[in-house]
Amino acid sequence: MKKKISWLLFSVIFVLFLAGCSGNSNEASGSGVIELTVWNDWTEERPENTAYKNMIKQFNKEHEDIQVISESIPHDQYETKLRTQAAGKQLPDMFRVWPGARLKPLVEGNAVLSLNPIMDNWRDKIPEGILKDYAFNEEQYAIPANISETSLIFYNKDIIQQAGYNEFPSSYEGLKKLIAEVNNMGTTPISLGNKAVWPLQSVYISTIADRFTGSEFLPNTLEGEGTFENGQFIKALTVIQELSEMDAFNVDMNTLDEAQSRNEFIAGNAAMHFAGSWAIGPILDNVENTDNIGVAPFPSFAEGEGNQNKIAGVAGGGIAVNSSLSEEKQQAAFKFLKFFYGNQLYQELAKANIIVPVEVEVDGAPEVYKKANSFAQNGLAPVYDATLPPNVTDVINNGLQSITLGEKTPEELAADMQEELENE
Amino acid sequence: MHLAKNKQMAITFGLFPALLIYMIFAIYPILQSFYYSFMEWDGFSDMTYVGLSNFKELFQDPLFWNSAKNNIYVVLASVLGQVPIALFIALLLNRKLKGSKIFRTIGFMPVVLSTVVISLTWSLIYNSQDGMINELLRAVGLGALAQNWLGDTQWSMIAVCVTVVWQFVGLYLIIFLAALQNVPEEVLEAARMDGANEWTTTWKITIPMIWETILVAIILCIAGSLRTFDLIYVMTHGGPSHSTDVMALYMFNETFSNLQYGYGSAVSVVIFFFSLLLIFIVTKLLGRKMI
Repeated sequence: MKKKISWLLFSVIFVLFLAGCSGNSNEASGSGVIELTVWNDWTEERPENTAYKNMIKQFNKEHEDIQVISESIPHDQYETKLRTQAAGKQLPDMFRVWPGARLKPLVEGNAVLSLNPIMDNWRDKIPEGILKDYAFNEEQYAIPANISETSLIFYNKDIIQQAGYNEFPSSYEGLKKLIAEVNNMGTTPISLGNKAVWPLQSVYISTIADRFTGSEFLPNTLEGEGTFENGQFIKALTVIQELSEMDAFNVDMNTLDEAQSRNEFIAGNAAMHFAGSWAIGPILDNVENTDNIGVAPFPSFAEGEGNQNKIAGVAGGGIAVNSSLSEEKQQAAFKFLKFFYGNQLYQELAKANIIVPVEVEVDGAPEVYKKANSFAQNGLAPVYDATLPPNVTDVINNGLQSITLGEKTPEELAADMQEELENE
Repeated sequence: MHLAKNKQMAITFGLFPALLIYMIFAIYPILQSFYYSFMEWDGFSDMTYVGLSNFKELFQDPLFWNSAKNNIYVVLASVLGQVPIALFIALLLNRKLKGSKIFRTIGFMPVVLSTVVISLTWSLIYNSQDGMINELLRAVGLGALAQNWLGDTQWSMIAVCVTVVWQFVGLYLIIFLAALQNVPEEVLEAARMDGANEWTTTWKITIPMIWETILVAIILCIAGSLRTFDLIYVMTHGGPSHSTDVMALYMFNETFSNLQYGYGSAVSVVIFFFSLLLIFIVTKLLGRKMI
């Protein structure tokens, strides 16, 4: 009797175990409907994400034979998960991707499908210069939904006025004076949340360094025709040192994340917040008086050798297709992409104050949005983490944090970056 | 005879599923890590065999040594913090104390909570502007002592260690309580009859009798500390400026953020041997055969 029970137990466990192993296969549902899973990071409640999700809903309603299933993963974990799953060859049918250096390993590992067969759909609508962010060797891997300007200065007009400014200063010297004035008033000049270590790099250095070195510096250095120990680049890093030494930031900058620091600005606890165009919506939606919020481009640097009007930016919002899809699923995915990246999406996004790569008419757009939009007209400077290899990005991210703590000098960071690049 | 043989068979069969699962999910991945650690691999493209170069690079990487150093701090804080505090409270609770059940529950609570909840709660407590610690300090007029606990490289590691100790004291408390309850009453009675006071019975009888348990607790403590990851990942990301980086976090970042699967595997292999070494030293030092 006992023996029987133990055998029974054993077989139950064994069957359960086998069942656990086979859970992940992608069986086609018997009814002839093609199911496509799309991974994304649209977890935050914001108009932009709602627009994306609505497009999927509408697509599903209009196409009974294709159903797109959205799976949302929080932003900070998303890329890690994507890379890990890609290494294990377990990517979903479609997935949100970031351009440039962050897409490159997926392309080199043959994980993503070229969209060239359907590119005619967008050729005349989206400028070549923006499409190229998602292209490698003439092959297009995703369509941009938006343009992310990564370096905008949002400011609280009231606080700045109290400090004696009617206009936002356009030069770095002017900005420093403003910071000193605001500090004298006992208010935090710039609200910064650098716990996740990317803001100082993506938002600050991308544009500051471009002003000092010009846009050719980054690609040249990566090609080995220059070095990060370049004097102009070091001057750019010194700006971060200078700002933190003059107490331009809140003291807890290294323990707040980006959204928390934005909330501090929204609550009126800081005069300025440096962020990208992704912050326009959340700021305008949450401040009490939108007229009190101004937006300015980065200040110009007198010693800078680059174009002082460009700000850093990059295409975003692209969805890539898994390269190992069956012919049938591929066609379905193409059909979905053509629908998704259509006029309606760009209209909706523009209404949600997102800067889009196509021309759309929006009536009654807020002043901040129109102004931010106009900054892109001067051309976009490269964004550092969209261009650098991941390990060099890691060095500059952590290094900038060390600079704010006085534990590293700009010269040391530049040397570290160069060393990491040569180790590649 | 026949019966015994049958029993053995049954035991073997009974163990088999567990063994199989253990082999697939524990042993095999460890062996795989060893294999990957000799490779250069970004996770996507083909692997290339590079011999020991990952290890060479690792031993020359100051960031790795920094994370190892921080890890030692966590080990020290755990062994010197968690075990004595837990033992002390356990000895107190083992007496016929009113409401000791409530205290036991309270003590065990942090063990049940998810690490993410603990990390977020303590981040709030440590907040430099309106966190509980700084508010308290200011309220009693010690505002000058208020610190940017998690954002200052001088304090961040200490702050993290305090949280680690707090989180696991309850676990060892329960283990020690169980052991204390197994100390026979007669022995203690006899000692008291011989005129031994409370202090002597505790030191000379109770603690030696649960020494095996204490040793197990210390080893669990070391093994746990070397795996510390989630708490620090949520609280500080290893920052600011790598000041709270530990080995597991360093391994995670190198592997999954920087896409160096081979190098990351080398780090985990080193962590593996490092743990074995530490546990070996501790068992040798504290006597008694454990492994």
